[in-house]
Amino acid sequence: MTSTIKQQLSSPGGILKFLVKYNTIFIFVLLLIFSALISDVFFTSVNLSNLLKQVSGIGIISIGMLIVILTGGIDLSVGSMVALLAVTFAILVNVFILPVAIILTIIMGFGLGSISGYLVAYQKMAPFVATLALMTIARGLGFIYSKGSPITFKTPGGEFMSNFANNATLGVPNIAIVFFIIVIMAMVMLRYNVFGRLIIAIGSNEEASRLSGIKVNKYKFLVYAISGALAATAAIIVASRTNLGSPNMGMAWELDAIAAVVIGGASLNGGRGTAINTLMGVLILGLIGNILNLLNVPSYPQQVVKGAIIIFAVLLQRFESK
Amino acid sequence: MKNSENEYRLEMTGISKSFGVVSVLKDVNLKVKPGEIHALLGENGAGKSTLIKILSGVHQKDSGKVILNGEEINPKNTHDGQVLGISVVYQELSLVNDLSVAENIYLHKLGASKFWMNWKGITKDAQELIDSLGFKIDASARVRDLSIVQKQVVEIAKALSEDTKVLVLDEPTTVFDPNDIKKLFNNLFKLKEKGVSIIYISHHLDEIFKIADSITVLRDGVDTGTMAVKDTDKDGVIRLMIGRELKDLYPVRDIKIGDVPVFEVRNLTAKDTLVHDVSFSVKPGEVLGIAGLGGSGRTETAKLIFGADKKKSGTLILNGKEIKTKTPVCAVGHQIGFVSEDRKEEGVFLPLSIRRNISVTSFKPISSRLGFLNVDKEYVNVLDLIDKLSIKAPSSEVNVNNLSGGNQQKVALAKWLSIDSKVIFIDEPTRGVDVGAKIEIYNLINEVAAKGVGVVVISSDMPEIMGIADRILVMHKGTFYGELQKEQFSEENILRYSIGEPLKQLN
Repeated sequence: MTSTIKQQLSSPGGILKFLVKYNTIFIFVLLLIFSALISDVFFTSVNLSNLLKQVSGIGIISIGMLIVILTGGIDLSVGSMVALLAVTFAILVNVFILPVAIILTIIMGFGLGSISGYLVAYQKMAPFVATLALMTIARGLGFIYSKGSPITFKTPGGEFMSNFANNATLGVPNIAIVFFIIVIMAMVMLRYNVFGRLIIAIGSNEEASRLSGIKVNKYKFLVYAISGALAATAAIIVASRTNLGSPNMGMAWELDAIAAVVIGGASLNGGRGTAINTLMGVLILGLIGNILNLLNVPSYPQQVVKGAIIIFAVLLQRFESK
Repeated sequence: MKNSENEYRLEMTGISKSFGVVSVLKDVNLKVKPGEIHALLGENGAGKSTLIKILSGVHQKDSGKVILNGEEINPKNTHDGQVLGISVVYQELSLVNDLSVAENIYLHKLGASKFWMNWKGITKDAQELIDSLGFKIDASARVRDLSIVQKQVVEIAKALSEDTKVLVLDEPTTVFDPNDIKKLFNNLFKLKEKGVSIIYISHHLDEIFKIADSITVLRDGVDTGTMAVKDTDKDGVIRLMIGRELKDLYPVRDIKIGDVPVFEVRNLTAKDTLVHDVSFSVKPGEVLGIAGLGGSGRTETAKLIFGADKKKSGTLILNGKEIKTKTPVCAVGHQIGFVSEDRKEEGVFLPLSIRRNISVTSFKPISSRLGFLNVDKEYVNVLDLIDKLSIKAPSSEVNVNNLSGGNQQKVALAKWLSIDSKVIFIDEPTRGVDVGAKIEIYNLINEVAAKGVGVVVISSDMPEIMGIADRILVMHKGTFYGELQKEQFSEENILRYSIGEPLKQLN
């Protein structure tokens, strides 16, 4: 790996090629430098750890979104799932001991994702439609179970989670550590595990996969289920940060997750994308929000800038394929 | 014609073109007279398609001149080309699946028309056009529902819907059976009489010698000259194409066929396709050919056995034991391989590397119980196969879409060699593959058979199937109509069985 990078850098025009190839990292570093120059608050540990805490929840569902998108699908339900599962976790943590509450929430996320997975893989429903349905169902259920208002943690288990989510280890916020561990797991799975290889194969040519004897339906089912389980993990984290589960959580997060994956260079047709680039996509989106906040830019112009960055990132990737 | 003293309709002179640092065409000349069928030959990557794309306006030349009817032209896009009367039927089908046949044929006119479309009129015109070609296709049918053969016919009809002066056909017959080819040729002869200049690109030399008046051969982006068909022969053309002497297109081999069939099919009938009562067996080391017209159910038979289509009844026996192949997963589990005729859509993973393509069937032996890959082992396997099949690529990490058709086909085959398949079905092994790579693929098939694998080859290319098969089964209307032993091989016999006629009695 490092030797190929060295080769690229030493070949004529290599630096440019290198920048184009690793364009998401390039954009990220540029933004980092820009942010540091423009605001003296940016490189403070308080701000950086805030930034990491803000992106962790969306980051985790972005990894789920990535593996779904790699198969050529999409999962619109993750934002609503975060709301429903945050409410669920708040209810469960007030009833059961903490490990049980965590495990049950993740199982429920897996189960909800399985519904999308079943509809897409075995009922051949379009992913957009199936997960759109799940999206409204999950949001609706979240409001029903919470009766429309947030549910606060009341038990020592809840208190423990709240402490965990708001503290840091060696200066890195705990929830960011959870996010990074998930990114690393995804990296390893996509690179060195058969599962990752097969979902990429399915995304790049589903029919050829079927005719190569790959259990296409099984893997398509699994990616949605895993995306659901990751939504549950994100839900536990965001609920713990605020010490409550609210049906308003995760509003439009699915769109940010898709944006992060796309900025990370993944193809919505499937077959192309990596975990490290999705991480970069998440950080880029987070950075933009962060620096605009520091500059006191109101939220509406922020949205405009975000959109422009998405377009810029994807245009830059065009060069990569040439 | 303004310039009546000029004997050429089209003159392309000194055409050069490079993509980046890669020089694709170097000072190429191509001159075509009115009413001439001009064959453009060359191996894959020789620059034929690029030359045509310059003519039609897809690419712009770097230097050189294109003169049509005595006037220099410079088509900037395909629309310009069409207006000038240049129609191209591309190798890759370029139809819109969700539109009707008629809409597709007149698609290029939709933009230029008045606000309202006369659908009835268009459908009627399209129907007349197709009928005049002698094919049976409903002009109001959706292109999605057509067979690949029918799609090709629509593609040709589309090219003819204009006042065409120069018609270019890029490998038009790869999906056609002999009957359709004959119909196509009749149409070409009619166009020729009308004075249309036809540029015909094909790897099938038999076809060229049947229809073409003159031949231009491209090799590595340089034209090796134009000659009249009557002044040359196949060997001469092949020599020009590959730049070396060619002894045998179909390599001879040591045939060691086992006694006991490795694989047997009894009374197989499909649920959803026309395949019924199919019975045959293949012995280890044998290359069994399956011939038949397009639509006779050859591909469907292979897909049925492989579990890609649903079965209604029938028995499969592998090495003496009955097996079930409900899905391709089961078939692969029993080490049955299937190389699809549709390489790009069903055979390879174009955007993935050679390594990822080859190992997709063979993860089990190189991964742990939790699915973690031993990448070193993977490299050893893959590099070994790349070497064995002489896949021409700078490394195993090159994406398959950067390879030539022949090398892509080898990758598709490698996938099945990596799992030590016991039976391999190869559907159209050399479609769209150049002569050099063809021979390599034939050698490969022979090597695989020599290892004791039962190889079943489906092919529409009659010389090919007679050249490589030890025995040929001929399909007709969804079942095997007859079997030909090596001494009975002839195009006539295959054709007779294909159309459901008995063989002529020898007296």
